[in-house]
Amino acid sequence: MTVHTDTFIDVGHYQVHKAGQRVGGDVFIFQRHEDSERVVAVLSDGLGSGIKASVLATLTSTMASRFVTSYRDIKSTANIIMQTLPVCKERKISFSTFTIVDIEKDGTARIIEYGNPATIFFQADTIGPLKKEQVPVESAHTHERHVSSGSCVLACGDRLIMFSDGVTQAGMGRADTPLGWGQAAAERFITACIKTQPTISARDLAKEIVSEAQRIDGNHARDDITCGVIYFRRPRATLLISGPPINPERDAVLAGRVEAFGGECIICGGTTANIIARELDRPIEVDLTCIDPHVPPPSRMPGVTLVTEGILTLCKVSELLQHGIVPEEYTDNAAGRVLAKLLNSDHIHFLIGTKINDVHQDPTMPVEIEIRRNIIKKIKQVLEEKHIKKIELEYI
Amino acid sequence: MSQKIIIRICTGTTCYVLGGAQLLALEDELPADVRERVSIEGALCFQLCKAREPLRAPFARVNATLISEATVPKIIAEIQRQL
Repeated sequence: MTVHTDTFIDVGHYQVHKAGQRVGGDVFIFQRHEDSERVVAVLSDGLGSGIKASVLATLTSTMASRFVTSYRDIKSTANIIMQTLPVCKERKISFSTFTIVDIEKDGTARIIEYGNPATIFFQADTIGPLKKEQVPVESAHTHERHVSSGSCVLACGDRLIMFSDGVTQAGMGRADTPLGWGQAAAERFITACIKTQPTISARDLAKEIVSEAQRIDGNHARDDITCGVIYFRRPRATLLISGPPINPERDAVLAGRVEAFGGECIICGGTTANIIARELDRPIEVDLTCIDPHVPPPSRMPGVTLVTEGILTLCKVSELLQHGIVPEEYTDNAAGRVLAKLLNSDHIHFLIGTKINDVHQDPTMPVEIEIRRNIIKKIKQVLEEKHIKKIELEYI
Repeated sequence: MSQKIIIRICTGTTCYVLGGAQLLALEDELPADVRERVSIEGALCFQLCKAREPLRAPFARVNATLISEATVPKIIAEIQRQL
């Protein structure tokens, strides 16, 4: 039996709305259960587009996620959904497609599909077998319908990819894709993507797929285009060090942690970086190509992913996190780079020196500077609650 | 040709908020003939802010000469003195 002691379920999605619609009729949601580290993801496509479709899809995905999370059986989940949805006045039917993926920490996945293009199971860069059976469900309004129920076991490096029909039907009616892009062509595209970028993140792969579908649609989406990716992989670990140790005798311990760490390492603090550079005998070079009036420039040190100034940069990172600003929407400065690294990590270990820099507490300083420990606590809270990161906080 | 004058600007927190941020644009302020004779570098905290009076941040160094409460004109004056 394979032992999955060190794996992470990376879930990401990307979406574009039908051109001219401000609200999408496709909904992708996922829930991660901290205790069991189980993930339930749902993609739903509501009938039509705009607000009405959005309501149908939101209802469907929320119900599906709740029921599946509580281990309610598939048939009754599907029955309840179909009987609860409001009936469309024009079409006289209630309708919303769904794909539900329920994946355990050990990689065991259950997949339930109704009306969406088939979910694809990638074993590394090759499409793997997905056992499926048709389960009949009742519907209050029409004849008997079937949902498809499948299962598979993901190993490290495997993925499950689901999308709405906006992907497979992209380009429909155009000379080179009269029947739309199609499942087979989409599968070939995804295979090529994974072969060229074997460790591409869930969100980036979803974005590649949606962008390609949009391109095939002549950059004018004729339906909502949504893709969700679940990537079962090794966790990306980051060590963020900030602040000198309270006792200088621990400087060597701090530097040793940088050397011993296997993942990415970020140092926020000039004095901290100087200590580590001195202890490990490494050079530091300030990168003056990245100048910002509010955030001091980053620096480079061999063996360290990123070196920045401390308090101002961390205050800015905290502010960006509080306001939900993503790195793509922000300027390229040291705070933006720290934010990007944190958001790209699964496990983040904060190693915080508790020495307080008296000069920063001087009330004549023209900006408000918080105590390091308080900023880190704020950053930790947002990363845990909004971004579902696993955080450890250690003081030195 | 004589060696370039090395200017190091402290990018530590205290210096940065007390005006060091503006010093990083020094290169744009230099006359063209001076610009090619200097090399501008950023530096991590000089640790001088803790020394208190009479020295005040922001700090810069023009070769070995330390400038406190550094401004662009003060740095340019020191460069011209050394040229």
